[in-house]
Amino acid sequence: MSLNGKRILIAKPGLDGHDVGAKIIALALRDAGADVIYTGLRRSPDYIARVAVDEDVDAVGLSILSGSHKELVEETMRCLKELDAGDIHLFVGGTIPSEDHDELVQAGARGIFTAEMSLNDVVAAVEADLVT
Amino acid sequence: MNEVSRNPRRALSRALSRIANAGVAETLAQQGKSITPALSRIGVTGAPGAGKSTLIARLAKLRKGDARKVAVLAIDPTSPISQGSILGDRIRMDSIADDPDIFIRSIPSRRAHDGLTDNTADLLNAMEGHGFDEVILESVGVGQAEYSIRTLVDTVVLVMLPESGDAIQAMKAGILEMADIYVVNKSDLPGAQLMAAEIQQVAERQSTDGWTPPVISTSRNEPDGFAELDAAILAHAEWRKSHRDQTVTQRARARYQAQGLFARRIDEILETDDPGLLDLDPQSLFDALRDKLASDKRD
Repeated sequence: MSLNGKRILIAKPGLDGHDVGAKIIALALRDAGADVIYTGLRRSPDYIARVAVDEDVDAVGLSILSGSHKELVEETMRCLKELDAGDIHLFVGGTIPSEDHDELVQAGARGIFTAEMSLNDVVAAVEADLVT
Repeated sequence: MNEVSRNPRRALSRALSRIANAGVAETLAQQGKSITPALSRIGVTGAPGAGKSTLIARLAKLRKGDARKVAVLAIDPTSPISQGSILGDRIRMDSIADDPDIFIRSIPSRRAHDGLTDNTADLLNAMEGHGFDEVILESVGVGQAEYSIRTLVDTVVLVMLPESGDAIQAMKAGILEMADIYVVNKSDLPGAQLMAAEIQQVAERQSTDGWTPPVISTSRNEPDGFAELDAAILAHAEWRKSHRDQTVTQRARARYQAQGLFARRIDEILETDDPGLLDLDPQSLFDALRDKLASDKRD
């Protein structure tokens, strides 16, 4: 399996300024064959949704270490829908306590990736979701 | 999702994906449906790290000031190993990212080896068809292959860095002679003035029909340089009106597109349809390809 031809936006919403994880994920997805676009730090959900539309990505991966994952996932989803792009898949990664997972799934997250997961598992989960 | 989105930006963006992913047969089937005269296409090229993306962000804003809707097509290299890519140009275009009249699209180079991508010509047409008056095409400079970008755009801007060596290096690489406008970027670095002067000498020899490629110094701290670049692009557009033969331009573009389509069709045959042909001797391989192409049906 490979992510060839899939376009993925890796985005850093909110105020935390650490993007080593986001960059590592971006490279791993590239190595799996995807075309990866990275937004840079501290982007608003509205900005992320507009870039996702202009770049016609298959999925958006939000990297969040600030603790405001619930608000940011909900808001990004809302902005995507407003742009007629609710079909773009949303993933979220970062420091996310397990008790929040259900709520994020309900908000529309198709996958939740934490630091305990191996890179291979993350890439495999993205592939399983995008390549059918 | 094939229906047209009610959001016009999404409709354009999906159309661009379809074009970028289209095989040869599909590309041909799409031709002729929308003939939009190219209003203005600017190509910005140069080595990685020369500051092309940042410069385009500054430029797009100025061009927009002349009441244009500006689209940017930014091409980044595809990894030959994974076929994946990191499309990083957009992150340098921060300052224009929030502008609804500027559309930025990042595209991987895929199979193309000339700094562009498959179906570049059709992507440019689609952007023009969606109401953008001007398209800025960013490509990684790859030396002599800049011939391709020159064919597809109206004005070529070559961006160089002071530390990229003297003008002799640039001449050797074959990148001088190709551009309509030269930019020495990060011109506050040492060696910039000397480099600009050297390129100026080369540019003067290159003068044809009254157009001498200007050499412009730009740097983050020197906003006048960007205005000068904007003015040079306008001047070149004026010059073009009376000095460039549209038939010649059109023919060169048609030729580039035909060559690209044939090269890709041959790739499709040898990679997917019939890789066994590669074991034949050159004459038999050529004959087999010719027969195969002859049997291609119109969709």
